[in-house]
Amino acid sequence: MTSSKKKKRRSARQKRKGISTAHILIVAGAAVLVVGLLVILNTNRSQATMTDPITYETGVTLEGEPYKGSPDAPLQLVEYSDFLCGHCGNFADTIEVIGPDYVETGELQVIFRNYAFLAPESIEAAQAVECALDQGADKFWLYHDLLFANRGTGISAYSNSRLKAYARDIGLDTRAFNQCLDSGVKLEAVQADKAEGESQGVQATPTWFINGQMVRGGVSETELRQTLDSLLTQVP
Amino acid sequence: MSESTRDRGTFTTNQIEWRLWLIRLLSLAGMAVSAYLTWAHLARQSVACGGSQGCDIVQQSVYSEVAGIPVALLGLMAYTALFALTLLRGHVPAPWQDYVPLAIFGISLIGMLYSAYLTYLELFVIYAICRWCVSSAIIITVIFALSLPDLNAEVDLP
Repeated sequence: MTSSKKKKRRSARQKRKGISTAHILIVAGAAVLVVGLLVILNTNRSQATMTDPITYETGVTLEGEPYKGSPDAPLQLVEYSDFLCGHCGNFADTIEVIGPDYVETGELQVIFRNYAFLAPESIEAAQAVECALDQGADKFWLYHDLLFANRGTGISAYSNSRLKAYARDIGLDTRAFNQCLDSGVKLEAVQADKAEGESQGVQATPTWFINGQMVRGGVSETELRQTLDSLLTQVP
Repeated sequence: MSESTRDRGTFTTNQIEWRLWLIRLLSLAGMAVSAYLTWAHLARQSVACGGSQGCDIVQQSVYSEVAGIPVALLGLMAYTALFALTLLRGHVPAPWQDYVPLAIFGISLIGMLYSAYLTYLELFVIYAICRWCVSSAIIITVIFALSLPDLNAEVDLP
């Protein structure tokens, strides 16, 4: 092989080496941008500061659990939730949507119980709603709705400072609330709620009991309406 | 692709081929994992997790969706795209040949980086490990590693 042939082949090889470093860098840069965008979308969602006003009867059961709807309602739904659980938030939204047709008409009473198990933030949030409950059942539901409305607004959605900010947003007595939250006085109640759930067979969230019958996982609005309607026909 | 490429001692057609096959197989495995997780997420079903609750905890967490789209579905789309690209390789006109390994590189890089972020969330934010998610993270990392040599490969273009 002559040297000119060799040279020719070398240059031909160079030409075939198709992907330039510039191309690779551009694609790598674009990939980093896409991932950055995904991370931002996941951590920087808009923060809710207001929720719908309370338009239904609220109160606290003899066991100290907050409820909405009439205690004399033929249907009783006890829900175990973790504020960090996305499906719990969706289910809470569903209950909110059907509220005017069932809760406000006196047909359904909804009782909330903490089942804080996903992360330390879950336990923080659970203590916070208990602190809100100290200031009234209607305040509890406002705070509950606001927490769920802010689910997924980032890693710090239920950080201590955000939990206190939510309390301020809905007009709680922030001094009492902050003291309650910081003292950890509600930790025992939160743990007791979870133990109670476990004793009833709750393993994950949301788990709910409709007139004592356990249902695991959230359901769609249609499914919930069907369940409630069919139970209502059985009630004398 | 001619015999001459093979003789030169650079990346041979065979070497490129087996890497493509491996990427194809791994993409299929990734599609299976992410399809299962997507189904479980949308159908609100519990995920088989070898006795651990980790998978459900991660799947139910607020981080399992981005702008309303399940993260698992994003994974399914990425693996499907990678699988399709491995089929395209060698069947696209010469000027576009380079874009196939480049696209495989880009998509697997996105997948690997995002999986790293998700694994960070599992370890330090959600405090639960989803084995299926970790296996997907490993799959996409291997695909990314396999995509690298092809970027420099000297290939006889048709």
